Amino acid sequence: MTSMISQALWIYFYITLIGLIAVSVYGIVVRPNLLKKIIALSILGDTANTFIIFLGFRRGGAAVPIFPSIKPTLEELLWFKETAVDPLPQCLVITAIVINMSVTAFLIALAIQLYRLYGTLDVRKAVRLRG
Amino acid sequence: MGVIVKRPYSEVVIGLGVALLLVLTLFAVIAGATGFTPKEDIRPLAKFYLYYAINWHEKKYWAASPEAVNSMVWDYRGYDTLYETSVFFLAIIGAIAVFRIPKVKDVFTKGILSGKGLSLIVKTITKLVIAFVLIVSIAIAVHGNLTPGGGFQAGSAISIATLLAIAAFSRIFLEERKITTKLMLPIRVLGVLGIGLLALGPGLIALSGVTSFVIQNQPKPWANWGFIPGIGPFWLSGNQFFYNFCEFVAVGAGFTVIYLIFSIPELIYKKVLGK
Amino acid sequence: MIEPTLITEILLAFALTLALIFAYLAIRERDLIKAVVFSALQSVAFAYAYYLLFAPDIVLAYIAVGVGIYSILLIYGVSKTERYEEV
Repeated sequence: MTSMISQALWIYFYITLIGLIAVSVYGIVVRPNLLKKIIALSILGDTANTFIIFLGFRRGGAAVPIFPSIKPTLEELLWFKETAVDPLPQCLVITAIVINMSVTAFLIALAIQLYRLYGTLDVRKAVRLRG
Repeated sequence: MGVIVKRPYSEVVIGLGVALLLVLTLFAVIAGATGFTPKEDIRPLAKFYLYYAINWHEKKYWAASPEAVNSMVWDYRGYDTLYETSVFFLAIIGAIAVFRIPKVKDVFTKGILSGKGLSLIVKTITKLVIAFVLIVSIAIAVHGNLTPGGGFQAGSAISIATLLAIAAFSRIFLEERKITTKLMLPIRVLGVLGIGLLALGPGLIALSGVTSFVIQNQPKPWANWGFIPGIGPFWLSGNQFFYNFCEFVAVGAGFTVIYLIFSIPELIYKKVLGK
Repeated sequence: MIEPTLITEILLAFALTLALIFAYLAIRERDLIKAVVFSALQSVAFAYAYYLLFAPDIVLAYIAVGVGIYSILLIYGVSKTERYEEV
């Protein structure tokens, strides 16, 4: 009985994440303002990070991948190996957060400079001005 | 702003395409193509990292740190972090190059900004909050190899303190106390230089005959020297403590430069661009 | 009767639903300051989801970046350009 509710909940998680990807791709393609496109790009990056962390989750009896003391015995290490969550996706996600943030900061600087030179942030009008 | 424009047909087609992609992916997930049930076991590579991160009985592959994620960021997968730090460095340089910092006599904002700041209640509470933020961010940086945290998290948190000072007091307050871009850019370069020396130093020692490799932390069976894991009551975990501190300095100074440049008023840039 | 893992999964469903609602409201909004506020709320919902998935390093990094840095840079961008979006 509880395993059926669990399976339904996990299908619902994936449905929500796919819905988030669809909303952010709609925001990048359809909306004409440059700052709105940058907001939608940041939402897309966060959804991809959440997908990666879902891959490393362990369902029953999970624990944080940090050991609570400096000198462990061998039995405590074997218990730690059997109950902790995968630490490898978390290391990759920290790198991905830094790179997404530096790209976004650079894009906002470029958008402000574009407004100073062309006078508009609307993509449909800026295409016609041509330099 | 009050005119309603009719949507062209290409946008309707794009919307329908996105909806079709959504329905097809749903069908694939529900039919079990991506393996929707969560697993009860993890991969053997993750078990290797968890077992050997702090193992006093078999010191062949240990990293001397009870925190598995931080030891993987700086020791087991150190190349990824090296390239990520250089990408961050180059992005800040790119943003400064696009913005073109004006000359010194243009950027002194005393005649343009008023310099009064916000009211007295806001200033008093901001002083308390800045003190708390400084203490918490230094604690996250220094304890990075024992508790959750690390260099990058602490650098982001300490740049919020500069931002609060710009908002509650004014930019003139910081300029008169000599916190300018001229001071923060060399601090940032010093931080990244520290990371580079700690990473490439062991590789250069290999030129003099001792076997070692780039980004080395603890002695291995084929390379027989390493950093000390602890001095007295301080547990340093080899060189992870120094890596965390240098990254904290570099990231904090980088974001402070970005905030100081973005808060220059637009009149100065219009004068520089000649409009 | 109700196991701890089931409680974790129900709270995770609540957090991801909140994130979806805030993301949709952020993209549909025409006033750019309100869109920035909705984007910050969506970052908080994602940070709660990361906490339930046993990843404490990522919670610290993501709250500082999502609520602090993205909101501030976007507000600087809006104050130097226009506030309302056309159509």
